[in-house]
Amino acid sequence: MKTSPYGKIPGALAAGAGVLLLLPLAGIDAFFLDVLTLGFLVAVYAGSWDIVGGLAGQVSLGHALFFGAATYACALLTSLAGWPFPLAAGAALLLSTAAGAAVGTLSAPLKGPFVALLTLVLGEAAHEFFLGQMFFSPRGGYSWGGEGGIPVLLRGQPLSPWAAYYSALAFLVLSTWLMLRIARSEEGLFWTALSGSELSARASGVDIQKHKRRAFMVGAALAGAAGVGFAACVGRATADDFSLELSFQAATFAAVGGRGTIVGPVLSALVLHSLLQGTGIPPAGRVLLYALALLVTLRFFPGGVAGTLRERARSRRMVLPGKGEGR
Amino acid sequence: MSDLLLAEGITKSFGTNRVLRGVTLAVGRGEVVGLFGPNGSGKTTLANIISGLIPPDRGRILFEGKDVTRTTMDARFRAGISRTFQIPDPYPSLTVIESVRVALLCGKPARHAGGEEKEGMEERLESLLVRTGLFSQRFWPAAKLSQGCLRRLEFARAISCLPRLVLLDEVFSALSARDEAELVGLMRSLHREKGISFLLISHNPLILEELCDRVVAIEDGRIFWEGKPGDLAKYVPAANHAHGREDGMQEEG
Repeated sequence: MKTSPYGKIPGALAAGAGVLLLLPLAGIDAFFLDVLTLGFLVAVYAGSWDIVGGLAGQVSLGHALFFGAATYACALLTSLAGWPFPLAAGAALLLSTAAGAAVGTLSAPLKGPFVALLTLVLGEAAHEFFLGQMFFSPRGGYSWGGEGGIPVLLRGQPLSPWAAYYSALAFLVLSTWLMLRIARSEEGLFWTALSGSELSARASGVDIQKHKRRAFMVGAALAGAAGVGFAACVGRATADDFSLELSFQAATFAAVGGRGTIVGPVLSALVLHSLLQGTGIPPAGRVLLYALALLVTLRFFPGGVAGTLRERARSRRMVLPGKGEGR
Repeated sequence: MSDLLLAEGITKSFGTNRVLRGVTLAVGRGEVVGLFGPNGSGKTTLANIISGLIPPDRGRILFEGKDVTRTTMDARFRAGISRTFQIPDPYPSLTVIESVRVALLCGKPARHAGGEEKEGMEERLESLLVRTGLFSQRFWPAAKLSQGCLRRLEFARAISCLPRLVLLDEVFSALSARDEAELVGLMRSLHREKGISFLLISHNPLILEELCDRVVAIEDGRIFWEGKPGDLAKYVPAANHAHGREDGMQEEG
């Protein structure tokens, strides 16, 4: 018996992916192609936040830590250690997941604002560390790091804009499908339960510390995967990859799209990122527009766009006893 | 009747307030024990300690002969001790059926130990919702249920994995006569068919008389009286003893 409200989403997602698939053929220019490519990666990153902060209810204000860990691992391992990119990408994913396990273990006994505070502190500590840290290349004696960042060496021919676009789109579709599968799994049910009421979850036999840790690990692994993609596309890791702005962006996308819905944050990240980057609005203006989008959404869609629509759909399914059965 | 649960010498203080003072309570296999007492007497604190929500300062909890004092509430649920809460705290984002499914999934080991693995999860879930009168509301968000339905949901969650012991904390309070009669009937049938033991916390002496094999009265953190439910009328609360003394003194004066 299917009880999840995600029933029709794969079809709509496939239709949206179809439009995006045909978009480059419509003669879109290289700049917009690049904006959309990064938008796909940011969308996966927003979805990864929603695993932790939406589904599992562990509001993370330092989610960029996992993203930055992956970009820096790619940069350091390819530029300094001379590893091939695929190997460095694998190591970066492992590192992000391990960071997720560590943060999840530290935050597991904490609740609500204390989880937000801990993640904020850890994310900012990493940001400050990499902002001031310089790395010396043994080959050539280059000095890298700080605001200038570290290059990511892909070796061989870089991907063409088309190839990068389609790779990122495939990554987004695959990741979203995976996140929805996880949301509908037993693990996703436990995360939603502990997000709603830790007390009832514990009384129902849910080992909340174990499941909180798992949520952080899965969210961090996906944020790391987005970071690897970002490192490959941009070709550089900078301290901004750990920035507070990036962490707050993820939380904003989730609030606008609908926390705990996966699709909502993914779509809101894709739309907002593409609109604001594509129109060339300066960073300060972008922050104001993000805030405006948040205010408007919370006024008309208190649970985020997808969250409020889901609630309305659920309300329609409520049938009074004796007046037929709901489905 | 061998002891299923033994709470031995339980002491608990919150700051300077001593809530439980060396309480010892046993529940036998298949026994229904009522816990009775005024507000603030320590009934819910004792239930919290038995279910693993909070640890005791002193004393130990033995369940099926094993010391479970240091285990968590979720581990005790999986071991076969479940409970309801006086104030239900539903999952706002989950429907009724999903809320019960969480407990059913987590309680797999307990269910398997009871030989219930043959029955499919979904069939079991549906029959549970039918028995607790929640089937027609199974797709409702749990947060939108009435008080009576929330109590039914608490009950469904608690009995979902056929635990050996269920702690019912004021589960019959604030219910309509119909809701109360249906839950009482369900509790009786579970006790009769599955041999589940219950520790029933209630203010209502009529409910305790109707359902319990034995009633324990707790006052000021101590076991004050213990007896047959039929003798509950003989139990005079400690506060009344004090009033009696005062009345006597006034009469003497």
